[in-house]
Amino acid sequence: MKVKTTGKIVFMILPILIIVLFLSNLWYGSVNISLDDVWKSIFSFGERGETSNIIIRQYRLPQAVTALSVGMGLSVAGLLLQTTFNNPLAGPSVLGISAGSSLGVALLVLLGGFAGLEIGNDISFMGDMAIVIAALTGAIAVLLIIIFISGRVGSAVTVLIIGIMIGYLVSAIVGTLQFFSNSEDLHTFILWGLGSFSKTTITQSTSIFVVTLVICIFSLIFIRPLNALLLGYKYAVGSGYNVKLLQSVLILISGILIALGTAFTGPIAFIGLAVPHISRSIFKSSNHSILLPAVILLGGALSLFCNLVSKLPGYDASLPINAVTSMIGAPIVIWVIINGRRLSYE
Amino acid sequence: MSNDMKMVNDLLTIRELSTGYSVSGGERKVLHSNLNFKIGKGEFVAVLGPNGAGKSTLLKTIYGIQPAVYGDIIIKGKNINVMSSREVARSVALVLTDKISDKYLKSIDIVSTGRYPYGSFMGSTTKKDREIIQYALEVVGAEGFSQRYFHSLSDGEKQKVLLARAIAQDTPLILLDEPAAFIDSPGKVVIMSLLSQFVNEFKKSVLLTSHDIELALNYAQTVWLLGKDNKFYHGNPGDLVSNGLINSLFDNPEVTFNRNSKRFEPVSGN
Repeated sequence: MKVKTTGKIVFMILPILIIVLFLSNLWYGSVNISLDDVWKSIFSFGERGETSNIIIRQYRLPQAVTALSVGMGLSVAGLLLQTTFNNPLAGPSVLGISAGSSLGVALLVLLGGFAGLEIGNDISFMGDMAIVIAALTGAIAVLLIIIFISGRVGSAVTVLIIGIMIGYLVSAIVGTLQFFSNSEDLHTFILWGLGSFSKTTITQSTSIFVVTLVICIFSLIFIRPLNALLLGYKYAVGSGYNVKLLQSVLILISGILIALGTAFTGPIAFIGLAVPHISRSIFKSSNHSILLPAVILLGGALSLFCNLVSKLPGYDASLPINAVTSMIGAPIVIWVIINGRRLSYE
Repeated sequence: MSNDMKMVNDLLTIRELSTGYSVSGGERKVLHSNLNFKIGKGEFVAVLGPNGAGKSTLLKTIYGIQPAVYGDIIIKGKNINVMSSREVARSVALVLTDKISDKYLKSIDIVSTGRYPYGSFMGSTTKKDREIIQYALEVVGAEGFSQRYFHSLSDGEKQKVLLARAIAQDTPLILLDEPAAFIDSPGKVVIMSLLSQFVNEFKKSVLLTSHDIELALNYAQTVWLLGKDNKFYHGNPGDLVSNGLINSLFDNPEVTFNRNSKRFEPVSGN
């Protein structure tokens, strides 16, 4: 009962926290802008030409919206993968799925260079779509390989190790591609690969937000089958689900969410892996009717928080977002492993 | 004609079933072939046999988790091949030895999944579901730890929760794989008595595997003996003991099954 009330309070706090963090992201940055101007700019009372208005509307707002969306999307993807593979260490970056996206984008940007296309410099809608499709194709390709392998090898750890190896393999191919490409394409790709929430326009970020939100809400219909999957493959079949089909659908949803984020922001480390674990330990539940909404909210909040931290140095340059997410995410993974080990000795 | 009618009345019919699994290279290892048997309503069946005889494989094959090498599995007159997973789940409940490793699943969360075959894909737990879940918890005596985390329970308590899940699933047939394997002796008696109650009071049919022959013979009405090398016998416990089949199946020269005490005893006791 006590846990239940704590859970309710956290659920009420999280949306407020998201709003506060979102506004902080608009307010805080290398240029000082008063809260008043932030307010004016949001509700478009500010004059169009005003510097503060331009900074907020063209830079900070898209960045905050992207951070929020990608945080939600990657976290939901992480949770779906952890449940589907019955593996607490599954996540977008761990299973090599983000690396797959990188390969897709690398092939497009770097090989496109050979073909005379300038995808990297092309900021048109078609260019965006091409990068999204390339990232999605890469992510799904790696996911298919992992599905194929996990159908043959039962052990979750084996699948994990193979996922990590695929990640290395893909990185090696990307490295080779980089070696042979011209410096401009290379520059574009390396910038993309560093990961950043700040490369999107307001139109792009709005599209990412809408699509992510729709998919996250859609994922709520899988609450029951996801709970059944927690009991293992046989019990899930015994609960009346077509588990093979279910797993494929869940993996496809995760793939789309990962690709969508990765295409515009580059690979973002650890958020997808860490947020489900933070949610489980806050809400003390693995029931997806609690966990799934929790992950959506917490993912958005943590991502906004990381973006805020990355701006902390205060001058023009901000910290690479992956440095921040890794600093927060890696200790969580270590904690999960140590915690899990202690449990298995009990 | 009469044969067809009878088939519909039988809960589970197995015809010419061959069980086995595929080994690498696409080959199939057949464990048992041409098995024929039936389970009626309110029947308590124990599948006995030494380790590696294929008891679990038989159970998985009957449920359809493992494809049959050959033959038919018919539940309430319908072949399992043409049934949806949901339809099967409304007729047969499973209690397995698979470990549930999640740390934050409560007992009640696990029992609730027993109602999933009845709700819609995204449906929430209805009032009727909650009543059935509560009832199931009470029947097995698990209401005291329904809010506790499953992983923190003792093996005996865990098994009660899984039995409650099977009761909540409200099926005429329950399949159990080694339901008493990891439980201390008093706990084993509790679990087996609950299963007897399911059979006698609720008229459910129970099919369980066990390598604990003494325990199973005390409760089961029918025994299937699975041996290595495709041996299969079935009958009531008394007959199987008196005609020495139990002894022949577990051919260990150092022990013999005593028909009177229903116990294995050392051969060379002086």
